[in-house]
Amino acid sequence: MLRFWPVWVLLLGGLFYWGMQRPNKDELQSVLVGKPAPSFSLPLLAPYRAQYGPEMGIREGLGKPVLLNIWASWCIPCRTEAPLLERFHQQYKDQVLILGVNVQDSETEALKFIQQYGLTFPSVYDGRGRIGIEYGYYGVPETFVIDRKGTVLARHAGELSEAQLRGYIEQVLR
Amino acid sequence: MRRASTWWLGGLLLLALALAQPSPNTPPPDFSPEVFKIAGQLRCPVCQGESAAESNAGIAVEMRRIIAEQLAQGKSEAEIRAFFVQRYGDWILYEPPVRGLTLWVWLSPLLGLGLLGFGLWRYLTRVRARALTTASDVSEEEIARLEAELQSPERQP
Repeated sequence: MLRFWPVWVLLLGGLFYWGMQRPNKDELQSVLVGKPAPSFSLPLLAPYRAQYGPEMGIREGLGKPVLLNIWASWCIPCRTEAPLLERFHQQYKDQVLILGVNVQDSETEALKFIQQYGLTFPSVYDGRGRIGIEYGYYGVPETFVIDRKGTVLARHAGELSEAQLRGYIEQVLR
Repeated sequence: MRRASTWWLGGLLLLALALAQPSPNTPPPDFSPEVFKIAGQLRCPVCQGESAAESNAGIAVEMRRIIAEQLAQGKSEAEIRAFFVQRYGDWILYEPPVRGLTLWVWLSPLLGLGLLGFGLWRYLTRVRARALTTASDVSEEEIARLEAELQSPERQP
C-alpha cells in the first residue's frame, strides 16, 4: 500500500484542493438568483402613504431596479445599515428603488425606528415576516438585488458595507 | 411511630424531586402534531441547528403557521416540503434528497464498509498464504535436524 505513496499524496492533496475550492456553504446562496422576484403587495408604513399610496411591493412594470431590504427595529446591524441606505436613497432615488420590508416587528417600534433615523425610502409592513419566507430569508438584515426586468441578481445576507451597496447599485444600473 | 414519619418524609422528598424535574421539551400546543411532524423535517433558517418545530423564533412560528394553513388547504406533506425547498433550496431539509452530489452522502458508508471488507479479505488471504508457504518451504533435511535437536540429550530433563 505504501509503495503507492505518490498516489495517496495526490489523492489527499486533490481532496484538500477540492474542499478549498468549494463554495462556502455558510454563504447562503439564494435559490432565487436568476429567477423572477416573487411579487407581493403590502401596506406601507404610515409616513410613506402620502407619497406612495396605501400599498407597495414587487410587481411587473415598476420600470426600476429594486433593492429590497428586509429589516426589523430590534436588529442591531439594521441600525448601522439604515443611515447608509438613506444616503444612497438620496443619491440614487431617481434610478433605483430602495424598498424596505419591516418583518417580525411591531408597527409602533418600526415607526420609532424610521423616525429615529429619518428614513425617507419607503418601507412596507410585514408583521409576521411572510414575505421574508416567500423570498427564503434567513434573518435580518437581508437585501435582494432585483434588476429592471424583475429578476433577482443577488441576495446579501447580513449588514451591507458602503462598498458592497455601491457595488450592487452599479451592478443593477449597468 | 418514628419509622413511619421517616417513611413519610422520604416519600414527600421523592415526590418533590419528581415534581422538580424540568418538564419535557414539548412543543407549544398551538398547532396539530401533524404540523410539528413536518416542521421537524425543516431547518429553522435563523437558528441553525434547530428545526422549525423546536424553535420559537418568529420565522419558525410563521413556518409552522404556513404548514398549518397548507395542511388545511389539503396539501400533502411532500407538497409542503417542496414549497420550502423552492424558496430555500435543499438546505432547508434535514434529510438531503437521494440524488446528485448528496447521493454520495448516502452511499459513502456502504462504500466505506465495502472497501474495509475488501482490505480485510486481502490481508487475511495473504496471511493465510504466507502461513501455508512457510510450512511447506522447510526442507526434509532441516526438519530432520530440528527433530534430532529436539531429542538431543541436553534437552532431556
